[in-house]
Amino acid sequence: MAESERLLVNGIELDVVRRGTGRAILLLHGFQTIDPNAPFLDLLSRHGEVIAPSSPGFGNSPRPTDFDTVYDLVHLYLEVLEMLPGDNVTLVGFSFGGWLAAEVAVACRHRLDKLVLVDPLGIKISDRETPDILDIFNRSPDVVRRSSWHDPDRFAPNFDEMSDEALVVYARNREALCLYAWHPYMYNPQLPRWLARITVPALVLWGASDRVVTPDYGRAYSRLIPGSRFELIDDAGHHPEVEQPEAFAERVAPFLNQ
Amino acid sequence: MQVWYHCENVYPFVPQDILDRAESVRASLPNKYCDPKISADLFEECLDEHLLCDDLGVNVVSIEHHSGINSLYGASPMILGILARQTKKVRILSLGTLITIRPDPVRVAEEYATADVISRGRLEIGFVKSGDSEMVSGNANPVGYVERFWEAIDLIQKTLTSHEGPFSWEGKYYTHRHVNVWPPVYQRPHPPMWAATGDPETSAELGRRGMINALVLRGPEASKRAFDAYRAARREAGLSAPGTDRFAYAALCYVGDTDEEGLQVGSKLLWFLNTSLKQSLQMSKFLPGRTPPEFAAQNYRSQPRPGSETNIRPGQSLIGINAEQAIARGILCAGNPDTVYRQIMDIYDKVGGFAHFIFIGRSGFLDHQEAEKGIRLMAKEVLPRLPAATPTPEIRAAQAAE
Repeated sequence: MAESERLLVNGIELDVVRRGTGRAILLLHGFQTIDPNAPFLDLLSRHGEVIAPSSPGFGNSPRPTDFDTVYDLVHLYLEVLEMLPGDNVTLVGFSFGGWLAAEVAVACRHRLDKLVLVDPLGIKISDRETPDILDIFNRSPDVVRRSSWHDPDRFAPNFDEMSDEALVVYARNREALCLYAWHPYMYNPQLPRWLARITVPALVLWGASDRVVTPDYGRAYSRLIPGSRFELIDDAGHHPEVEQPEAFAERVAPFLNQ
Repeated sequence: MQVWYHCENVYPFVPQDILDRAESVRASLPNKYCDPKISADLFEECLDEHLLCDDLGVNVVSIEHHSGINSLYGASPMILGILARQTKKVRILSLGTLITIRPDPVRVAEEYATADVISRGRLEIGFVKSGDSEMVSGNANPVGYVERFWEAIDLIQKTLTSHEGPFSWEGKYYTHRHVNVWPPVYQRPHPPMWAATGDPETSAELGRRGMINALVLRGPEASKRAFDAYRAARREAGLSAPGTDRFAYAALCYVGDTDEEGLQVGSKLLWFLNTSLKQSLQMSKFLPGRTPPEFAAQNYRSQPRPGSETNIRPGQSLIGINAEQAIARGILCAGNPDTVYRQIMDIYDKVGGFAHFIFIGRSGFLDHQEAEKGIRLMAKEVLPRLPAATPTPEIRAAQAAE
């Protein structure tokens, strides 16, 4: 199968990475699009067909004019759910994509069979003077780097070694993220009220070293989703699927197969 | 030619070691380093300089910048209100309210209209796009700010020219269902509109709109590129060729009795470039929306690779510049009145003429007495020798019809 292909949704073109066969496992990426060579993709694809689109404006997906809100993204992925073959879809959302996945799960019960949220954003927990989510745009790149990774020297992007194309995608991802999520910063004030609508089995995974959003935020998030399970992944920051792909897959696999 | 005095009311008194340690001298430098009593003195001095300008026939400029040592003027309309009442003769230019970080342009239009009325029609309205740290301190999304800039200008213009009761605006960035400001503007149809910009695309749009294009600290080459884009856009749109009255050039400038004095005091103005432009990476080159992602290869690497596309912001290339370099690049005019006159006219010839010379006559540790001396010499010894403006035909016709 090709490394990436295109998916046309309501006239919107999405660049998609597909891997494996079987039940549909739809991945919604976080701050950065999913690397087609990421080991966790192969590990997940043992349990179904992994489908990882790049949202409009991210990666190599074009962004239609006036497609510029989280509302647009949520409705886009609701439409993707309707389009995918098979009875039910497992939805996995990472970070910013975890926010989208939670919104989609709130809005759509009939097409989902399971929900996995990995260090998701999207809600506000603390008081008005305590930001829950690190400001990755306004804080220094060093602080963001240290907060994002358990082992930044090993896993943080090295701009000096990246190709021109990879750097353009990196900057494109940041620009799209900023457009969608600048204000309110990375959350929907209304979402906590509606998380109780999620009725599918839900697993909330969290990197124990995440300082973009801390495990406590994750525990609070999980408490708002009825029946959801919260689990920590050690030696991982905001991207446990990248830093600990085996541990990540070991948590997800039994949940998918139970 | 119209000459405009421009002073940003900077705050240079933060110890250098604190500035050296700070990631940015804007947006994140704690305001505990700004003494309100010293600030009060600075406001008094700078506003007095504007009153001296009023006596001498030098127009005045109000600006705003946010949260940093580069300016204590945080709200241009507020400064306009003071200048509108305290000056009596000269024109007052706002260059300008940072419209892309204001949530409601109607409110800004209302403030402008009020200042125009208080000044009995001496206001000129300039717009700047802003960017960088001011998006951060202004809590404004840096992505899409150019589009927002134009919609804000459209809404302000519509607000200032509507007199028959409320209108509704439901744009992409701004909605305001009931717009009807009191008082209306004094000047009709509205005060002259300016924008400070350097990129040819924006200049072209200013040309189509007939707005005055100001180039601030860009030097003659970049200014000529912008002015040429302005002229070409009008030509292509079938509009009249612009006179010099559509063009403004801004430079650091100090006039002394002698070349030595002009250069020695004028060199102090370079503080603005060398000290007050320091911004953190996340508020400058890493800020989304600021430069297209296509320039990421040059922006993100610690050392750009040969051949990668470059897009250095104008301000960055000025940090560390000395007086001779600044003069050679048309960023600084300094010397005795003859020298400054020749420097201005040299730039004038290179860019194809301008009717507005904006002189940034106080910055850094250049003090109040020195600033006032420079203003006097500019007004008495340089201004009278500068060439008259050539008007833009259709604008002249519109004025005659009023």
